[in-house]
Amino acid sequence: MSDTAAAHEAPTSTGIEHKKLIMWLFLASDCMFFGTLISTHLLYRKLFPAGFTDAEGHQRFIQNLFNIELTSFSTFILLMSSFLMALAVSAMHKGQIKSFRRNVLGVIFFGVIFLGCQVYEFTHFYHQGLTIQNSVLGSTFYVLTGTHGTHVAIGVLWLILMYFYSFTGKLGGHVGALDVEIAGLYWHFVDIVWIIIFTAVYLVEYLGPNGIWGTGLPAVAQ
Amino acid sequence: MSSSHEAAPSPDFLAEEVRRYHHFIVLALWLAVVTGAEIVLIFLPIPVAAVLTILTLMSAGKFFAVILWFMHLIYDKRLLFWCFFAGLALAFATYAALIMLFSVDRIDTRWFS
Repeated sequence: MSDTAAAHEAPTSTGIEHKKLIMWLFLASDCMFFGTLISTHLLYRKLFPAGFTDAEGHQRFIQNLFNIELTSFSTFILLMSSFLMALAVSAMHKGQIKSFRRNVLGVIFFGVIFLGCQVYEFTHFYHQGLTIQNSVLGSTFYVLTGTHGTHVAIGVLWLILMYFYSFTGKLGGHVGALDVEIAGLYWHFVDIVWIIIFTAVYLVEYLGPNGIWGTGLPAVAQ
Repeated sequence: MSSSHEAAPSPDFLAEEVRRYHHFIVLALWLAVVTGAEIVLIFLPIPVAAVLTILTLMSAGKFFAVILWFMHLIYDKRLLFWCFFAGLALAFATYAALIMLFSVDRIDTRWFS
């Protein structure tokens, strides 16, 4: 713990504000939630490496479906939104409300771009034949990335409310800075989950001709 | 609660915030570079096992950089780190347990058909 943290110790038995401690505990539980979803996706990719069958009955591999440029762009956008969120929290700690508003607007803008990319991706995949019902791959992929997208949408909504709340004059001082910090923790968490999803779901599909999952031959010992 | 009712931040605290501000800028640049390197890496003619290892290390690096600096864990009480780490460890343990439970190379996938 740094000297600054010691100087701002909260008057609680742990020395940590209750709101902040609860947020961290929530994030730890959300970590387990996403851990389960990512594990399920990876296991089923291993068990069913063949991808999915499109509307014409042709076997398709997900590598041909993914658009790595788009996903890389949205990853970059989310990382930069995290940077702006850190600046917004810093501005709030310094009592610079205008700087806070500018940075939060940037975070909201980037969050909306990320959601737009995800909507485009889902629509494209659906028209290519990958649905949540027609394959195990579709089920795990949409549930995992959709759950993450929902988290991003909740974060965007939270920040929009916080932005407008800042105009009431009630979002100030230590309590206001703590509220912004908690919203920031949530936003950064959404970012770190995407860091894992980007590697575990997208990038690994590009290793080898059909990803690391093989050619789609049955994994059964006959 | 309005800011007018609060005491102004101390000079030490402001100096610390300025120092963190520079850390955030450096970290953002570093994250962008690592993400770019990840994308280049998957197209390089390197053995898959090596690429997977490097990708895992890079992701872990980005993950911990964000939680330590952007989420202030490096500046905050250790208890918060351990709270979060407990969730992280359980998530990883879930993955490891599933891998072992399913023994994925030997399972009969006809059960699911």
